[in-house]
Amino acid sequence: MEKIFALNLTARADKTVAGNPVTTRLESGVGNCFPGLEFDHRNLDRRFFPGLIFNFGTSPGVPLVGVDVDDPDLDPATFEAPDANAQRVLRTALRGQVGRDLQQANTTWVLDSIQQKGISISLRTQPGLTAWRLVRSLEAGEVEIVLALRGGNRTIPLTGWRRTFVNPKTGVISGAFQAGELTQSLCSPWMHDFRDCVCTYWASNHPDIVLAEQAPGVEPDPDAEETPIDWLRSDRASLDAAAPTEEDNREGQMDHYEINLRWQDLAIVLAGHEITSVFTPRVLESANPFETADALADELMSLAELEHAVALEYLYAMFSIRNPTEVAGQELQEAVEFVSHEMLVIAVSEMRHLRWANQLIWELEHAGLTTKPREPSLGVARQIPGKEPGQLRDRALSRLTPDRLDEFIAVEKPSGTLDGEYARVLATLRQPKYGDALEQLAERILADGMEHYTRFRQIQRVLKPFQGDPERYLRTLTPATKTQAQAALTLYDSLVGDLREAYRSGDMEDASRIASARAKMFGLRDAAEALANGGKGVPFF
Amino acid sequence: MSQLVRIEGQPRATVPPQPWHLLDGERPLVFVVEGSRLFGVDPEFFSALQEGRVDAEEALMASGAPVVMEDFTSGLPEPAAISLNIAQSCNLSCTYCYADEGRFGGKQEFMPVEVAFQAVDRLIEGAAGRRVTVGFIGGEPFLNRGVLYSSVEYALARARTKGCHVGFSVTTNGTLLNDSDVRLLRDNGFAVSVSLDGAAGLNDRHRRALNGTSAFESALERLRPLLRDPGRARVAARATIARDDLRVAERIEALAEAGFADIGVSPLRTSPNPDLVLRGEDWSRLLEQMIRAAEQEWLRVRAGAGFRFSNLAIAMKQLHAGSAKPLPCGSAANYVSVSAQGGYFTCHRTIDDPRFSLGTTEQGMSAARREHFLQARHVDRQEPCRTCWARYLCGGGCHAEVLSAGRSGCDYIRGWLDYCLRFYDRLLRERPDLFPYPGEVS
Repeated sequence: MEKIFALNLTARADKTVAGNPVTTRLESGVGNCFPGLEFDHRNLDRRFFPGLIFNFGTSPGVPLVGVDVDDPDLDPATFEAPDANAQRVLRTALRGQVGRDLQQANTTWVLDSIQQKGISISLRTQPGLTAWRLVRSLEAGEVEIVLALRGGNRTIPLTGWRRTFVNPKTGVISGAFQAGELTQSLCSPWMHDFRDCVCTYWASNHPDIVLAEQAPGVEPDPDAEETPIDWLRSDRASLDAAAPTEEDNREGQMDHYEINLRWQDLAIVLAGHEITSVFTPRVLESANPFETADALADELMSLAELEHAVALEYLYAMFSIRNPTEVAGQELQEAVEFVSHEMLVIAVSEMRHLRWANQLIWELEHAGLTTKPREPSLGVARQIPGKEPGQLRDRALSRLTPDRLDEFIAVEKPSGTLDGEYARVLATLRQPKYGDALEQLAERILADGMEHYTRFRQIQRVLKPFQGDPERYLRTLTPATKTQAQAALTLYDSLVGDLREAYRSGDMEDASRIASARAKMFGLRDAAEALANGGKGVPFF
Repeated sequence: MSQLVRIEGQPRATVPPQPWHLLDGERPLVFVVEGSRLFGVDPEFFSALQEGRVDAEEALMASGAPVVMEDFTSGLPEPAAISLNIAQSCNLSCTYCYADEGRFGGKQEFMPVEVAFQAVDRLIEGAAGRRVTVGFIGGEPFLNRGVLYSSVEYALARARTKGCHVGFSVTTNGTLLNDSDVRLLRDNGFAVSVSLDGAAGLNDRHRRALNGTSAFESALERLRPLLRDPGRARVAARATIARDDLRVAERIEALAEAGFADIGVSPLRTSPNPDLVLRGEDWSRLLEQMIRAAEQEWLRVRAGAGFRFSNLAIAMKQLHAGSAKPLPCGSAANYVSVSAQGGYFTCHRTIDDPRFSLGTTEQGMSAARREHFLQARHVDRQEPCRTCWARYLCGGGCHAEVLSAGRSGCDYIRGWLDYCLRFYDRLLRERPDLFPYPGEVS
């Protein structure tokens, strides 16, 4: 366990962390086209053999372009080679006559062959890029190579090993690579060729379509959230949707002259959105943690009840949507199909939250962090966060009218009550004593919650053309009596019982009870659909 | 008066500087002096540090890179803040005033407008586009209202031409403010520092109106419109604590009730009346009072309120940022003061003292003198500061006070900073929203 925790800003900033700089991480890439192309892979392989540097070009042959006698892999003090003797011999050779021959002026040496585990491959006539792929296929470990003097008969065999490019423990890139060496052959971003280059060799990816900037503290416009715009557009104020192809967008993009003049106007992209001012992270990140694990567990107990209640509200509302066969016109048919699907996705996701919340409670208890045992939380909250901060409304089973949709959006709103409570959960779990796994579960719930909000806003957008007459897409659904809904309710009670047993045992992944509950959910869906066809909804509460 | 500190050259002492300060408690803390880095540590590790175990000390030092302190040996930028001593005269006669009850040793003077303009010109020129601040002090600056108004207007116009931003501040006793002054302060976003010591009884004991009326009442009466609607201005109360009444919480409470949202206190270290200056055991009593006031603040802030005790609020901000400074203030570095006659001095406390002279608005400011002044006062060259764990938080104490009265109350400062470090840790847990960590993005 860690003994020292940095508290203030200077302590945090100065904390020495082993590893590659953050700019090398995948999530640091700003682009959306070819994630992962943060360096030119050929540059890694140019130093595949310790002490030698090759160039993989497009013409035939792999020329040797340098001898690096200071390569840390040649020095037993800085690198433990697979074969210490080979390391000594290779170092002596490269520092001695062999090294001098290889670097003699007006000569070119090429990589003639590579050999590993008894298999030898001749590279003599291979195009550079093919040779590269063959070199790429070498495994870490002993390798023999032969270098040949171009235009002569001389060859030099060398025994060494394929470099271990990154330290297997720390992930740090081999010290042999110089700063900038891995990206040296990539196109330069923000410059003239940013506009035209299609080779996709970008040091940092080149965004093509992006979402419009979100003003901090302002409710995001659902239309803008859905509309990708062309990042390279000349009219920076334009929020017009990008055309589907590169050619169609060309006309409105900055030309060469303009990009040289205004490259600084091209926005940074974060989380898909353009950012032109200082980025302000969400305030919720620094929510107040709960004082004790018990207080946290109590909160999770009630959050689980809340998740359960909204899952049922969403399910009920979902069954109030007409089937595509019951409505006229393609647009409406597509709309109801979309809305039903999205409502189900959200409801299922709430069920997942219910499970995660219970898992958190269970894990807290079994890690010895809470002081008293708790039963799984499968109750159904009676009150749900309302539209105004701090306001509560009674739980209800009702149709997906525009007002009802507003209420759902209010529950799921980022920085709303639910989001705020999970932010507190997360802030608590970020404390070192809780460990990573719990924190990540809470993070997933938070991230998922964000998606619910976006999905509900999409539903709102899709239904907008019909909101003048909601009956066009809504069934006349009213709650069934217990007798009418007996089949559905029996399944529901039984699956909740399964979940209670499964959550109690804490085995969240494999429990047969979970599988059984899932099967009953499909049955419940059919029973509810049958009721809905007759204008009745399942009276969950 | 004896000179207690050596202000030049390398120290002779061989005691090594203290590299960290250990704070025991439920969650033990270690404050690493270099870079003002604060760490929470587990109790076992803390014991190892207490016992001086080498492995623990090495682990602690490995947690951060060494920090090189600014030494002012080259390239000192021009100051970005000046204070104009526009009225070396006062309508009050406070018993403890360093300006000799407002008489300035018999040399009452008003700054001519030309001097003010010249100082503003040099400031804006030297700042080369940086944000600048023009402060007005005295005496009581509103005794020279005409120059104050014209200087604001002039500075705004000059700043516009030079494309820089100018901010204003004023230190006043508040008793002369009129409606037009209030408008000026509001519209120009002045930082207004009002000298008031607490409720009427406490305040009027030392802060005396020449005509015998209550200085507290007359100040409040004039200040009320500004306190009610400060506009863009930020209004703060600054209380001086003399040794005859060391209470802090009561002063804060009274001034908050009077309408101030930002209240700071400052102990009296030098005064023409030595009976009022804090000494000996006063310091530990003052520390108790400061902590009592801070604990009351804790209850408010924990419940979600903002800070009003600015000594504590500023300490929290600086501890969070890990502020580490080799000097106690910006004096002679980023800030200088201008006397009524146009002399540059290291700060408003050293006006007309030739030892602190830096040049004139006419001739300009001597960079060499500023550098020499700062180098000589670098906290790493002061005794006993050089080895003190709190040196980069305290900076060595007010230059003017140190020269006239030596260093006193160091245990009080260390005690207060020790308390503040623990307070920060408590607050970090209860109100993390007050302390954003840049770069922590979801």
